Amino acid sequence: MARSAATDHGAVVDHALVRAHTIAALVALLFSVTFGIIVAEQLVDPDIVGGVPWLSWGRVRYAHTQGIMLGWLGNAFFAFLYHGVPLLTGTRVTSARLGWWLFAVWNFAVLAPGWVLVLVGISQPLEWAEFPLSVDAFVVLGLALAAVQFLPPFFRRGVEHLYVSSWYIIGGLIFTLLAYPMGNAVPELVPGAQGAAFSGLWIHDAIGLFVTPLALAIIYFVIPAASRRPVFSHFLSMLGFWLLFFLYPLNGTHHYVYSVIPMAAQLGAIAASTLLGVSVILVVMNLLLSLRGSGFIPRDIGLRFVATSTVFYLVVSIQGALQAQMSVNQAVHFSDWVIGHSHLAMLGFATFAAIGGIVHAWQRLPAARYNAHALEWAYWLLVAGVVLMFVDLTLAGLVEARLWQSGAPWLDSVRAARPYWIVRLLSALPIAAGFVALLVGLTTGPRGGGLRELAVPLLLAAESEIAPRLAAPNAEALP
Amino acid sequence: MTDRSGRVLRMSYLAAGVAGIAFFALSVLLLGVWPSRVLEQQSRAMAPEHVLALTASEQRGREIYSREGCAYCHTQQIRYLHTDMLRFGAPTLAWETRLDYPHLWGTRRIGPDLARQGGTHTQDWHFAHLFAPRTIAPDSVMPAYPSLFEGAPSRPRQSARDLFAYLETLGRARELAGAEGEAHAREGCDCAGDEMAMMAFAPAMALNASPARPRPRGDAPELPGGADAARGHALFAADCAGCHGPAGAGDGPSADSLQPRPANLTEHTYSRARVVDALWNGTAGTSMPGWRDVPPSDLAALADTVRTLDSSASDTPVAPDQILMGARAYAANCVQCHGSGGDGRGTAASELRVAPTDFRAQRPSLSIAVRALTLGVEGTQMAPWTDRLSDAEILAVAYYVRSLFQSDGGVGTVQ
Repeated sequence: MARSAATDHGAVVDHALVRAHTIAALVALLFSVTFGIIVAEQLVDPDIVGGVPWLSWGRVRYAHTQGIMLGWLGNAFFAFLYHGVPLLTGTRVTSARLGWWLFAVWNFAVLAPGWVLVLVGISQPLEWAEFPLSVDAFVVLGLALAAVQFLPPFFRRGVEHLYVSSWYIIGGLIFTLLAYPMGNAVPELVPGAQGAAFSGLWIHDAIGLFVTPLALAIIYFVIPAASRRPVFSHFLSMLGFWLLFFLYPLNGTHHYVYSVIPMAAQLGAIAASTLLGVSVILVVMNLLLSLRGSGFIPRDIGLRFVATSTVFYLVVSIQGALQAQMSVNQAVHFSDWVIGHSHLAMLGFATFAAIGGIVHAWQRLPAARYNAHALEWAYWLLVAGVVLMFVDLTLAGLVEARLWQSGAPWLDSVRAARPYWIVRLLSALPIAAGFVALLVGLTTGPRGGGLRELAVPLLLAAESEIAPRLAAPNAEALP
Repeated sequence: MTDRSGRVLRMSYLAAGVAGIAFFALSVLLLGVWPSRVLEQQSRAMAPEHVLALTASEQRGREIYSREGCAYCHTQQIRYLHTDMLRFGAPTLAWETRLDYPHLWGTRRIGPDLARQGGTHTQDWHFAHLFAPRTIAPDSVMPAYPSLFEGAPSRPRQSARDLFAYLETLGRARELAGAEGEAHAREGCDCAGDEMAMMAFAPAMALNASPARPRPRGDAPELPGGADAARGHALFAADCAGCHGPAGAGDGPSADSLQPRPANLTEHTYSRARVVDALWNGTAGTSMPGWRDVPPSDLAALADTVRTLDSSASDTPVAPDQILMGARAYAANCVQCHGSGGDGRGTAASELRVAPTDFRAQRPSLSIAVRALTLGVEGTQMAPWTDRLSDAEILAVAYYVRSLFQSDGGVGTVQ
């Protein structure tokens, strides 16, 4: 029984690619967080890098955000997809060789050259699109390869029972492929305000069509697989999916409220942002109800990361709906409040989901090392760091907003922000330590320790049966 | 599953796929293509006939601005909000950005908006600031860009010149369009009923509202007296010492890069009105910016602090015939610029980049006056006078201009 279950997992999941993308993700994460620390440090001590061009604030910030989005989250999502897609579809991904091509393109034609180029000063000054167009071409190639790699399995077995994670994966991969060229190339082709309209779209598509769907695919996958209970409501899952895919792309213009962009577009985006906040409450309610019985702090570490990610998702989405409102936006826009918001989204919601996904997949690799103690540390360090940073930057934003509105000299807002920037820099300590602990957790300890942690073989057996049935509209009958 | 229900399912997935693509297409149409078309029409209707394109140097500067991520701390987009308009100026119109590929709007302000930066600071100021920002503003967190220079702000590389050239273009198009351009834009806007759109043309609104942009002398407000001395000293240390030096001797860390050098406040006696005027309006043609965003009570405290820095002797005994000799030499050589009576309003004054000193409102120390007459003042049109005046005459002129000071004299109060 145990043997056949293990073979089932081994038969469809490509362990080597899960491992490769997980390790690449962690390496990219450590680089990206280092870039983040260099940037945060410069706000406290601006002369620390001594004017060295490739370490200067602007360039390192480019490397930070692109590294997080493409290097860390991109690789982590791929690592999860190599685990999740075969289990959701009961069939292998398209091709292992294609997988290595995708790995090589993503890391050695996108990430590494992208970082080098922005640091030497070849980049484009567009948010979430800082890698130059030459690198963007390889991102699109990578996304196309990913579509070829991960989408056919869903259709090969027929699509009678697509589980909600599958919907998110299919949607995320297709729409990112469409949105990425729009956000990266169009502002180079249409000028000024017109280009900004498209940039606004992309800034929200990056989070709404790439990061969020794949993070939610992980959350929807890990909760039933780790808790061994089906999601609360398949109907709510699907309703949430369609609401999110309808509303996320319509949010873009809320980055340019009170600008010259037509007011109708601004108001439409604000309305969509409000509805999005409401929809996320629905989605998160369904997820939290699916967690019932797993305890307030689930014992399974992958499940715990995913559960915490869900809570961050709720907070960041309600905050997003709030800050899109004109009266709030006019005050806090441009301030550290927004930086707090984006860190809660990328570092709280998305990163916790991604960690949950890769830990979940890693635990089930028979030959992978696994150090539960280190992962325990990683979790608590990261929670502490994210919460500290978010609260700190939100307060900083309120202070800056008040000074800007009062008409005080500009430098007063810089002086007032300084203590908050120091605290933000300190919050990097638990965050960086948490990421190191995560790396330690997945590279030390006994081989196969993750499986033992799960009290296998019971779960693997169950999972190989669950996976196809996760898709069943009424999956209540799961073991 | 029967064939029939399988077909229905496949159809429904097809419908879902089409719907999904349609959602994305809808968002691009509603929030990308449509606003873009509206903005393009608006831009065409409101732009002046000719908008100056960037020169090669300005374009290279723009590339430096882009690659260094300047747009991630400095927006180039003034919103239709009074708080933005009072601080930075008229809201950004679409046509002003129509040569921006790609846009540099930005979504974060650690530093101020730069949409109307052109003409606000001198080249010297920018070079000193880019080379080492904290020599100008000790509390700034702006990164330093020494790689744009050959080791000193006075030795800029071409890249520093390019970046400065680009910064000078910010806001230029609308300024050059002038009143005629504004009228044309207002007509093209066709938005008389749209209160928000009309904010872009609010008549009372200065196009560039930067509190730092130097203005001509005059029109400074009355400031309250009885200011807090400790506050004044703290403000001086934070905002002024970078250029004027900790004791006001004109020897701050950035002083060597600025021409003319920052005023040596220990060697001048100023009337209060003169100090207030310099703080409020800045000094056009020099790196002294205006400080109109500083609250009046702080400005008053600062003005009083500046006046306490003066350590020059107030009265030097002087023979009447020496004054007479100075007056004669002054009338023959100085009056065209410095004006009769030393009011700084000679017939040539308006032609000069830096306004000539008004000796009624500011009295230089004897040594400073003699040095200016002997060596000239770099960065201004004040030339050395040693080939025209004898040493005795130079000394006499120095005595004479010092005698013109009126401690309660205002700026521009006496014709």
